[in-house]
Amino acid sequence: MKQFILRRVAQLVLVVFAVTFLTFASLNLVGDPLFNIVGVLSGIPDEQCEAVERGEISDTQSSGLNMGDCALIAQAKEQNNLDKNVVERYGIWLSDMVSGDFGTSFVNGDEISDIVRERLPVTIRLIVLAQIVALGIAIPWGVASAYRANRGFDKVSTVGSFGLLSIPNFALGVILLYFFALRWQIFPSRYENAGWWSELKALTLPALTLGLGLAATYQRLLRTDLITTLQEDFVHMARAKGMSDRHIMYRHALRPSMFSVITVFGVNTGALIGGALVVEQIFSIPGIGTELVEAVLRNDPPVVISLISVVAIGFVLINFFVDLMYGYLDPRVRTS
Amino acid sequence: MAETHVANTQLSVRDLTVRFPTTRGTVQAVNGVTFDLAKGASLGIVGESGSGKSVTAKTLMNLLPRTAEVSGDVIFEGEDVRQLAEQGREHFWGVKMTMVFQDPMTSLNPVKKCGEQIAETLRYHLKRDKKSALAEAEDLLEQVGIPEPGKRVDQYPHELSGGLRQRVVIAMALACEPSLLIADEPTTAVDVTVQKHLLDLLDTLRRDRGMSMILITHDLGVARGRCDEIAVMYAGRLVERAAPDTLFGDSRHPYTDALLRSIPRIDQPSHTRLEPIPGRPPELINPPEQCAYAPRCRFARPDCLESIPQISGVAGMHEFACFHPANTDRGREALADNLAQGRTAAGLDVTDLGGPS
Repeated sequence: MKQFILRRVAQLVLVVFAVTFLTFASLNLVGDPLFNIVGVLSGIPDEQCEAVERGEISDTQSSGLNMGDCALIAQAKEQNNLDKNVVERYGIWLSDMVSGDFGTSFVNGDEISDIVRERLPVTIRLIVLAQIVALGIAIPWGVASAYRANRGFDKVSTVGSFGLLSIPNFALGVILLYFFALRWQIFPSRYENAGWWSELKALTLPALTLGLGLAATYQRLLRTDLITTLQEDFVHMARAKGMSDRHIMYRHALRPSMFSVITVFGVNTGALIGGALVVEQIFSIPGIGTELVEAVLRNDPPVVISLISVVAIGFVLINFFVDLMYGYLDPRVRTS
Repeated sequence: MAETHVANTQLSVRDLTVRFPTTRGTVQAVNGVTFDLAKGASLGIVGESGSGKSVTAKTLMNLLPRTAEVSGDVIFEGEDVRQLAEQGREHFWGVKMTMVFQDPMTSLNPVKKCGEQIAETLRYHLKRDKKSALAEAEDLLEQVGIPEPGKRVDQYPHELSGGLRQRVVIAMALACEPSLLIADEPTTAVDVTVQKHLLDLLDTLRRDRGMSMILITHDLGVARGRCDEIAVMYAGRLVERAAPDTLFGDSRHPYTDALLRSIPRIDQPSHTRLEPIPGRPPELINPPEQCAYAPRCRFARPDCLESIPQISGVAGMHEFACFHPANTDRGREALADNLAQGRTAAGLDVTDLGGPS
């Protein structure tokens, strides 16, 4: 077990390296980071600035250069290590990141660590709530349809779950918003946070938007696995022991049937972060998704890189947790 | 029939019939099975796969799929078992009547500790608290001869050998002190060396607790010596019923006779050829109105193909369902006629006497 965890942690570190480097490199190679800092001045060819330095160009009128421009460019390059190559810059960025210095935004100079500290908890709460909604619906639903597979309820719920699966997040979000926030005014339409209760209410619709589709996915998987488990001898044994159907379903059959759900739970957390991006927009939630979209739109690579790294680390951590869950679900995994 | 030993009859099965509708037709899994079981007695039900022995057991345990069509009476200690099933009676199965399954590798829940699985029964039916249930589970493990029970309660099934697991299953079945234990091929899936230990254990436990037992097996040898009575099933019907000594020494039904001949015997010279039973077990979908064993029977005469022989004889002594029973004059005549013709009425070639009958 100890070895297993160590091996997984090593893999985890490797994945985080790969993800952050690729994000860092792609955002540095595509487009010009200098442009984002100094604007059109980045278009001044290097030779011209070198010429200015050598004193060959002094006539600012004819060259269209401002004497301070070159100094500005040099300062920007120096501050952001732009004269070094990508690998070196990645190294510097990484060591800063590890020591907790996420850098600052190119555009407004905000501390990125502040942005993360402020935005991340909201998104985490949203995703956790969405997963709770999804599992809370999917488990009883899956159990109920596997209990009498291919009978009335199961057939109806198959139609229902495929329906939910085929509605895109943004459409579902708008529908929920229209009915629950505008027409019946049960839930607020915008994010508000005056205490945990008001935040919970504000996050209910977004969590439903994210969770309902997911619940349908989980329900399909759980139903299939449960039907298989119910054929097992130990289920017959439990029945021969005189246990009620409900007891057998929840105490005997459910746990060994959770493998697919748990796997997809981990994988889907990534998709959920992507989904949160859209849903945060619809419900105006100041989460990491909203910030990421804004950062991309305002061309702010340091913020984008940091946020993506945070998301990637979260994703890897959740899947690490899922691997540990297998051991909990089936003791046979622990020893092998 | 039933009146003869009403006083201490614990289980009484009358004309039990089980059918399964399938897309290919109705499977007649059990056909008119009738037997009684006295308190504290043990009955062996012997037959090959598909003979209906497991379906009979599952009917008693209320484990049949919902599609099964059941008729006939099952009375256990004065209660109508099929009615209890319909009423959804709790704390009956698992408490008064329990069952041990064939494969100990799969009949324990892989994700629960052995102790928990035994304690679960006690907590569920007898409402024990967790601590005393676990202590009792440990006690039960000791009773079924598991070494270091204190350690085993905290182990998962995969950490135990097949023999030990079957002992855990037995402990689980015994937890609520049932008055009837149904053991469905309890030793088929374990090593031969372990088989005897398990069978002896079941026998001892039964005697100590005054519990009745139905031992289901395909092996006549397993039933002998551990059962007060053996019932042989073929194609969903009881074909012969007698005490083990009678059955082994003076069998009547040609199927029983053939089964006995197919077992190696220690009193025969070595390299004596065993006699396999020709043909295959019959289809249970739309069987013809004739003796189901006739196509494989060396004794089959034309009357065997015209109607189904009903089981008859002295209840509790020796009953059988055959028109030309083996080891009788009628049987010898039938065999002699078939030999003279070279084939039976069902078309099976008969060329030699096939042993000393």
